Amino acid sequence: AKQLHGRKRPFRAQDLARLMYDTSLAPIQVVQKWRGEDNEGQAENIEEDSDDEFFKKAKREDDDLTEDRTVPLFNYEALEEKWSDLDAIKDLKTRFANVHLGDDEE
Amino acid sequence: MSGGTTEFVRLTGHRAFAQRLVLATLTGRPVHISKIRSSSPTNPGLASHEISFLRLLEAVTNGTSLQISYSGTTITYHPGLITGSVAGLGASAGDIIEHTVPAGCARGVTYFLIHLALLAPFAKAHMNVRMSGPGVITSATDAGDISIDSFRTAILPLYGLFGILPARIELRVLQRSCSGGGGGAVEMRFASQIRLPKTLHLNRTPGRVRRIRGVAYSTGVPASNNSRMIYSAREVLNPLVSDINIAAQYDKAPRGGPDSKNNKGGIGFGLCLVAETNSEGVIYSADLTSPSSGGVVPEDMGKKCAYQLLEIISQGGCTSWAASSTVLTLMAMGSEDVGRLRMGRDVLGSEEVIGLAKDLKSFGCSSWGLRQIDQSDENMTDYVVSVKGSGVGNVGRKIS
Repeated sequence: AKQLHGRKRPFRAQDLARLMYDTSLAPIQVVQKWRGEDNEGQAENIEEDSDDEFFKKAKREDDDLTEDRTVPLFNYEALEEKWSDLDAIKDLKTRFANVHLGDDEE
Repeated sequence: MSGGTTEFVRLTGHRAFAQRLVLATLTGRPVHISKIRSSSPTNPGLASHEISFLRLLEAVTNGTSLQISYSGTTITYHPGLITGSVAGLGASAGDIIEHTVPAGCARGVTYFLIHLALLAPFAKAHMNVRMSGPGVITSATDAGDISIDSFRTAILPLYGLFGILPARIELRVLQRSCSGGGGGAVEMRFASQIRLPKTLHLNRTPGRVRRIRGVAYSTGVPASNNSRMIYSAREVLNPLVSDINIAAQYDKAPRGGPDSKNNKGGIGFGLCLVAETNSEGVIYSADLTSPSSGGVVPEDMGKKCAYQLLEIISQGGCTSWAASSTVLTLMAMGSEDVGRLRMGRDVLGSEEVIGLAKDLKSFGCSSWGLRQIDQSDENMTDYVVSVKGSGVGNVGRKIS
């Protein structure tokens, strides 16, 4: 636990409560911060800021193209890989009623 | 209502557009949204589905006024009263509001219905709307809309948790259609108007998946696609659940598409899977449809949809991604009591949910409280969100 102390732990409820209502952050930034993914992104950003205007424009345009979704976007190849794994299935089995763990193919 | 001093809620961006307008209408606060796709060189401003949604809002309310700037990148919206379908007020044929979605609308009909259903419990009269026209797509879409079947089986039952009887909500699919053409027709009769939604406490275990239901639909393509999708989906799901029942629905291609001479629009196939758990009100759904460009095999679709369902189940919590905005909005509109909802980490930590929290706050609702469940357990990644209702309720019902 001591080793972890230096690093900020991601996914803490208090952090999200604080970040969520920070009006200076866009929702996507909140999510990234909460996940602890922003560290690498920050370094990249500084580099990009010194870049010319052109690239920044393109990036914003990308934001504009994203639409609201009800079904999340999934990478189906990754999903297939994940759920072909028997261990993952086994973990998920706790979420299913009347699963007979015995009569499985294994 | 606000007595001259109109204080706009100022928001930017095109995200969650319909969601924001619904919140504005429910709370009765005028809203000013700017920078709608302002940096897009090809299609700036409001998209056709958003314009269509505005027209729908105008039809079900009384006294709504809105101004859109020339470029369509800025809009001011003054909400009116939610009247529902009153004869003589927009409702043309009998007691039903006809809403025609023009061609070129890429979003599914659930894009409209999910948000319309949020307004409907707070309407003065019954909310009966028939959606038709060349832009109505009843299937799921590539743009990320759920299919009408998921909407009926995974979203509408959730209204029961708030004291809004699902038995009094009727959803009829008159004509199915798939993306790329439209031409469908859907009728929603929402006869369950209430004073205030009940406070929801969905903070206990999400339960275990007890059964899986689903609908496979083929519209204008051979019905054998249905059985092929069902077969491959069952291959994935059979080891996990014994009670699986997926219905097959075959329809002819919709008539009167955008190009009626050479009508190839609106055909395709898709699959919707709904997992019900043994704890009440916890429903997970997955949706997948063939892209309008074609070129997919039904077996792949079935498999992918099943994997999507597994992923959504594994995200945990008592509400799936698709249903979270509905549940959270109704919670925030409820009586002034704290309701609790258990959510998975990936659902809570998504852009949409965070955005909703921000929007609710800017519309004057109280902030959410967050608490992690059982921090000692590493695998436990669920959170309990406490939402205090704002007691907005139904303005029209207060008199009676």
